[in-house]
Amino acid sequence: MAQAPDAGTPARLGSRLAASAPALVLPILSVAILLGLWQVAPRAGWVRATSIPPFSEVMTQVWALLGEPEFWTNLAGSAQRWAIGFALAIIVGVPLGTMMGRWRPLYRLVDPLLVVGYPVPKAALILLFVLWWGAGNASRIVIIVAGCLIPIVISSYHGAHGIEPRLLWSARGLGTGRVGSWFRVVLPAALPQILSGLRLGIAISIFTLLASELLIRGIGIGSFMFTALDNGQTLVVFAMATILAVIGFALDFLYMRAVRRWLPWLEGDV
Amino acid sequence: MTEERPAAPPKIEARGVCKVFESPRGRVRAIDGIDLVARPGEFISIVGPSGCGKSTFLYIVGGFVEASGGTLTVDGAPVQRPDPSRGIVFQEFVLFPWKTVLGNVMYGLAERGVPRRERREQAQAYIDMVHLSGFEKHYPKELSGGMKQRVALARTLIMDPDILLMDEPFGAIDAQTRVVLQTELLQIWERTKKTVLFVTHSVEEALYLSDRIYVLSGRPSRVREVIDVDLPRPRDSEAIVGTPRYGELHRRVWSLLQAEQRGDGASS
Repeated sequence: MAQAPDAGTPARLGSRLAASAPALVLPILSVAILLGLWQVAPRAGWVRATSIPPFSEVMTQVWALLGEPEFWTNLAGSAQRWAIGFALAIIVGVPLGTMMGRWRPLYRLVDPLLVVGYPVPKAALILLFVLWWGAGNASRIVIIVAGCLIPIVISSYHGAHGIEPRLLWSARGLGTGRVGSWFRVVLPAALPQILSGLRLGIAISIFTLLASELLIRGIGIGSFMFTALDNGQTLVVFAMATILAVIGFALDFLYMRAVRRWLPWLEGDV
Repeated sequence: MTEERPAAPPKIEARGVCKVFESPRGRVRAIDGIDLVARPGEFISIVGPSGCGKSTFLYIVGGFVEASGGTLTVDGAPVQRPDPSRGIVFQEFVLFPWKTVLGNVMYGLAERGVPRRERREQAQAYIDMVHLSGFEKHYPKELSGGMKQRVALARTLIMDPDILLMDEPFGAIDAQTRVVLQTELLQIWERTKKTVLFVTHSVEEALYLSDRIYVLSGRPSRVREVIDVDLPRPRDSEAIVGTPRYGELHRRVWSLLQAEQRGDGASS
């Protein structure tokens, strides 16, 4: 609970550096080995270069793609649909989940739907949505909402349900009313778990976004990728996959950085 | 010196307050009729075997838990809901983790609609009073247990409550810090003359702080005995321990508690 007061003394600093050297080197080492294999295997003829192009060629192709306006239009379209879907899921999921956590009847009402809905593979719903709303933006956004809504609701529910009652009492004892305590105690107290749910939601929604675009085609970054595959441009497919992997990693990384920066009071991991 | 004011109307008056908890496995009788009177400015401790419902009684006075029977009045009016005039400090440090020390202490004033500038000034005064100057911008996770409890005390005192309800506030704090906090609490109490209901399991703490001690029986709890702590004030935590009167009182409370813990007090 208390801070470690003596972490800054020279002897300790030295031993901490020594202890953290493997912690720094080993992760870099594993990534370097993977990239090295990726480069060497096609060149040495262990795998066919048409199936797995060497890392250096993929990077060249990535560079070329970044110069194509068509790539950017598709990426921007996908990003926009993702942002709208993700925002909708938050707007619906966080209030619903936190209210379920504080009001039992609502929990009893909604919980069966979550239990039934949770294991349904959302990608399987894409074709239904297209049947109902066509292959336009509506279906593409709804599938993103469908993908991440349940994790967001469930984590918000747990966050609000697990609040220490005496924390609420403290606020009530200081003059906070019932409605006020929802905004000023329940929401912030549930925030750590809500944020974990959002992190999960980011990963799942990107997956459903790509799945929908690979299935519906037409527009979007997934569709752009599939077209390259159809045309036999393995290198482009690899370059696209690399870019998407980096985007996914960057989103998660930036999310964690933002949380740490803006919510310095958080304890432990999100 | 404690002055006798028999004419003063009671600040808190409990008559036959009881509490029954409904659980899936049946009804649990936690409190079986507690009578208690606290006059304005009195410091009253409630001790009893663990699990006897002394905290529950405090929560009923706070308005957080509803009594199942009996009457409970504060200034003659029945208690219905929590109110800033009855400030509470819990055992675990239930500060708002998302607020700084300053933010925690200012919280109640913001709820009361006090302008920001004024809130800041008042909060600073209370932070200084509990000796936390320099820690205004710290978050609760950066504080020790004793410091958190100082913040909790400041957060409650800033509302200027008539009544201070304390639920084993120093129970989870190391022995040295505890004595310091007890002494500071006594000084604040002697200055502000608030009515204090103090739940504790420590006989020494109750003797050092209180005017009277209510010893509760084991569950379902009743008042086993009320003991007047007629030790002169201001008290010195070390000096009083050696006095014969302290020894007598300590033995009396201790033997009552021991009897209750064993369960042979229930038949009386």
